[in-house]
Amino acid sequence: MLIRVKMIANYRDALPPGHKHGVIELDVPDGTTVYDAVSQFDIPLNDESVIVLNGLTVEMNTPLKEGDTVTAFSAIAGG
Amino acid sequence: MYGWHLKILRVNLTTRNVTTENVDPKIARDYLGGRGWAIHYMYKDMDPTVEPLSPENMLIFATGPLTATPAPTGNRYMVVTKSPLTGALAHSNSGGEFPTWMKRTGFDMFIFEGKASEPVYVLVNEDQVEVRSAAHVWGKDVHETTDILKAEISEDARVACIGPAGENLALMAAIMNDKHRAAARSGVGAVMGSKNLKAVVAMGNKNPPLHDAEGMRSISVATSKNVGADVKKGSNMRIYGTSYVPQVTNTLGILPTRNFLQGTFEHVHNVDGDALKDNYLIRHTPCYRCPLSCGRLTEVPDGPYKGKGEGPEYETISSLGTGCGVSNLAALVKANYLCNEYGMDTITTGMTIAVAMEMYEKGYISEDVIGMPLKFGDHDAMIEMIKLMAYNKGFGQDLAQGSYRLAEKYGHPELAVTTRKQEFPGYDPRGSQGMGLLYATSNKGASHMEGDVAYEEVFGVPVKENPHSTEGKPELVKHFQDSFALIDSSGLCVFVAIRYVFDKNRMIWPETLASMMNLTTGAGYTPAEVMKAADRVYTLERMFLIKAGSGPEWDVLPDRMTKEPLPDGPAKGMVAELDKMLPEFYEKRGWDAKGYPTIEKLMELELPTG
Ligand code: SF4
Repeated sequence: MLIRVKMIANYRDALPPGHKHGVIELDVPDGTTVYDAVSQFDIPLNDESVIVLNGLTVEMNTPLKEGDTVTAFSAIAGG
Repeated sequence: MYGWHLKILRVNLTTRNVTTENVDPKIARDYLGGRGWAIHYMYKDMDPTVEPLSPENMLIFATGPLTATPAPTGNRYMVVTKSPLTGALAHSNSGGEFPTWMKRTGFDMFIFEGKASEPVYVLVNEDQVEVRSAAHVWGKDVHETTDILKAEISEDARVACIGPAGENLALMAAIMNDKHRAAARSGVGAVMGSKNLKAVVAMGNKNPPLHDAEGMRSISVATSKNVGADVKKGSNMRIYGTSYVPQVTNTLGILPTRNFLQGTFEHVHNVDGDALKDNYLIRHTPCYRCPLSCGRLTEVPDGPYKGKGEGPEYETISSLGTGCGVSNLAALVKANYLCNEYGMDTITTGMTIAVAMEMYEKGYISEDVIGMPLKFGDHDAMIEMIKLMAYNKGFGQDLAQGSYRLAEKYGHPELAVTTRKQEFPGYDPRGSQGMGLLYATSNKGASHMEGDVAYEEVFGVPVKENPHSTEGKPELVKHFQDSFALIDSSGLCVFVAIRYVFDKNRMIWPETLASMMNLTTGAGYTPAEVMKAADRVYTLERMFLIKAGSGPEWDVLPDRMTKEPLPDGPAKGMVAELDKMLPEFYEKRGWDAKGYPTIEKLMELELPTG
């Protein structure tokens, strides 16, 4: 199934070249979780990152569906 | 006592009488400094019902005990006054260099009262205090004024001033310092303009004495190293300032778009931090003694929006940009420069234009009244509106009153997205519930800088909170309100303070902020005591609001937030659930069910009960 991974700001550097505005499309097997989707990229998978599924707060072991977007950004005070 | 000079300068602009006062060390300790000292003096010396633009209003510049110390980001001051926009309190924070220079005059706080009979500026060079004619800079913008005054006084001086917007009493007028830094919100610049006070110029060499200089040095070096390590890893705040945030809030569906008609913006890539960095960034510009350096010098090199200056920051992008549906980055950057030069708060400016755009599109205000079409996304019209507002011309006279009065005048108050008549910043509370409670109860009207729980709901710092949940938010909002009151009183910048003075349990880290306060002042605070002092400051401000007529009846959110569900994005279908949180919030604050601080609470905080 096709899903999207989106990296914001400095996390874009973890994506392979060719991404569009920090978004890449991945073909992943059924049962792939939020964790699986982001763990292949070199970003911290602890409380230094905020990771959301379709913009929502979820558990990292949530299984993905076709068309889902997993987004990651650095947890840092801003705004 | 150390850290504080324990000295206040009082300038009566009507009589031109200048006096100095000593501060009682117990008051200094109990109210911390900065914002805390300011409310103590305002509550004691001023009738809260005064007309904000009258000579009776006090305009206070207040540094904190950590201002001008080695503490990283100890470069802040607060401007505190009664707001002409809200009728509540204004307390606006700014950094740069002016606040440090101000503290080095040997005074912790300047109080301006009365009204000068003609335009003046005040020079404070240690004990030399002069009220001088400002006839030659009246009418000039912020950059020109700053250059002229520095040239005639000294390159070593630092300037805080108003631009045309403040002179013309626009209710979104800011006080700008060091050209690009703003004590922005709630119309503080209009209060300065109403006093015919064009500028305040500070210089001097009186660094505050430190209780334990060596201890302070080592804690400051350690904190700086922490920040430096983050910067090395590639901190977004260093790379982008806050301009990376539109991508974050757009992802969560809480990016104010077209006057909050939507929570996502389809052209966000055109106006985000990457677009800004790739096209217009020149270099980073820190405030004084800041290891993070989130400011950015930018330039639009050519074309109709040619210009050079600092920013824009997130809050400008979410108001003048997405708030107005504007996707032309060069025009948005130019609009930001203009606001800085005219001395205007970009949030209220942008969101007021956004309301006018919605009213125009709905046919509530005609092209004849405005003088041109004013559709969402029309960046040239937006720039024109900014000019009209600053100079109080044509339709700009209506805009200069802010969105609440604008929408009311044209018969559609429901379109103004405000609390206490102040425009919302860049987090839609329908998808960040804690922010809704914060906006509704803030002592300065809608503001993120009064207890930014978006740090948790959006950025996951120091703890990740689900933005859609209301659970636990009353306690969280209270804790953040108090923490921000503490930071605002200390003289530190919240961007660094929030990360390095809180531990993972959200508690003030004894090794950092409370320690810094003690090493600086020798006041021997426990962490619990500094938090209690912050609660005291917050509660006294609430008492001021109640007496000023901006009490609990104003703890409300506009219908767009509570009755119109978000139509798009991850928070689609949601409204702000203020009712679920407000009663518990009052209880956590020690206020009664109607929102008034109880006698017991006032006694616990040793505040006046009358
Ligand atoms: S973090 Fe940014 S705003 Fe704060 S003191 Fe540093 S440069 Fe100034």
